[in-house]
Amino acid sequence: MNTTGDTPVIDVERMNLVYGEFHAVRNLTFQVRRGEFYALLGTNGAGKTSTLEVVEGHRAPASGTVRVFGHSPRDRAAVRPRMGIMLQESGFSPDLTVAESVRIIGSLTRREDDVARVVDLVGLSGKARTRVSQLSGGEKRRLDFATAVYGDPELIVLDEPTTGLDIQSRDELWKAVDRMREGGTTVVLTTHYLEEAQQRADRIGLMHQGVFHREGTVAELTGMLPGVISFGLRAQPPAGVPALPLPVQRQTDGTFRVESRRIQKDLYTLLGWAEDHGVDLVGLEAGPTRLDDVFRAID
Amino acid sequence: MLGIAHGELVQLFRNRLVLLTSFIMPIAVSAFFVYRHEVFSDLGSLGYIAAIVVFTVGAFGLYTTAVTTLASRRQNLFLKRLRSTAIGDAGILGGLLLPVTVLAAVQATGVLIVFGVVAGGPQNVVLLAVAVAATLAMLVGFALATAGLTNSPEHAQVTTLPVAIGVITVASWIGLTGTEDMELVKRLVPGGAATELILNAWNGGAALSDSLILLAPTLAWVFVAANLAAKMFRWEPRR
Repeated sequence: MNTTGDTPVIDVERMNLVYGEFHAVRNLTFQVRRGEFYALLGTNGAGKTSTLEVVEGHRAPASGTVRVFGHSPRDRAAVRPRMGIMLQESGFSPDLTVAESVRIIGSLTRREDDVARVVDLVGLSGKARTRVSQLSGGEKRRLDFATAVYGDPELIVLDEPTTGLDIQSRDELWKAVDRMREGGTTVVLTTHYLEEAQQRADRIGLMHQGVFHREGTVAELTGMLPGVISFGLRAQPPAGVPALPLPVQRQTDGTFRVESRRIQKDLYTLLGWAEDHGVDLVGLEAGPTRLDDVFRAID
Repeated sequence: MLGIAHGELVQLFRNRLVLLTSFIMPIAVSAFFVYRHEVFSDLGSLGYIAAIVVFTVGAFGLYTTAVTTLASRRQNLFLKRLRSTAIGDAGILGGLLLPVTVLAAVQATGVLIVFGVVAGGPQNVVLLAVAVAATLAMLVGFALATAGLTNSPEHAQVTTLPVAIGVITVASWIGLTGTEDMELVKRLVPGGAATELILNAWNGGAALSDSLILLAPTLAWVFVAANLAAKMFRWEPRR
């Protein structure tokens, strides 16, 4: 795990965001530390993108304070040279080429970089002279990423960065992010691909219906719920076989499930029981709670 | 800002439809008036032709193109992309509108120079330049305001009609009928005082002090247009 600094890069305190009569985000408080990888996850309509848009300076909160590098995020001159943004939906002029788009947007970030290097980083070197209108959706997303990382900003905000990308492109994107993290870049991510957050995030904030539901490391979040052992039986156990000494739940598909806070011990108990009584287990799986399960437990 | 302006210029020359409607068409219409200047000067005056040229270029070369451009950049979220960078809103709008504004100024100047060679030059070049600049500034303000009401480039074909047709109609009305009747109304309508300024600058015969007074309603419309723009302009599509 990367060592993170103590100075918050992003400091949100009791933020509220309102659209007309709809209260989209309520009393949100969180910090992102320097060098940290922070994932902001949540159910659909939880307020993640709205929160990010406030952090990015695209919207003003109704109340509360938001600071990025100690400044209001709406102070573009102070904040944006240090911050790269990959919006959830972001446009480019269709008649400009890939290289032209990177050059123009890059120059506006007030950071220095080489256009060819950035275009190559996202695998679009072969399409540098192609107009944006002729790019696929995934290629446009890669162009989006290119403009976000132009000039190696100290902070990058990635709003669903891999949506629309194929597996190889996703891998390349994360490799680039990993390299930036080695250089100390702070990353804020929202994504619907939970495994991305689970594999990389130092901390995760879970939002639901505009409020923070939980926050913590992956281990802290998944440790709140028991692990699961699931299995099926090849055949009914012979008569007289004692019941398995574990809290077993039969599922509707005929398999069995054991919630366990002591996976290793309970798995040993199960395997011992099956071995002693000649019971064949099929489809045996065992593991700690995944982030998916934490999500499903929301509400 | 100049980076954005360069990008806009590149796109202007890559988009044949925009090139035709914003560059070639206004020049063609203006060229027609210059070519038939004897007929039109009998109807109004040489100054009337100059006014029609300025307002035709301004309305179609600048105003309509600016509204279409801004609506297009908003619709495809390019405005939002620009606002994700370090440049301020004024720089963004300046960069987006600089090429069409400069092009309109060059077009108007070019056509007026040709007209001056063909039919005899203006009596007061400086006053004419001020009038043209004030007219273009007013139309930029109206473009920003109209863009706030315009959802798409296609929608711009409708939303731009009232101002575009309106200012050309005003210029024709005043150019053909003069300012003796309904003087106050003619000076207060959008483009009215600017038209009279152009007439005086080209035809002469009016005291400089009388002409300079016309700057007040002209600049007032620039102020009104800028205020409308500040209230009405949208950076993102309606959700």
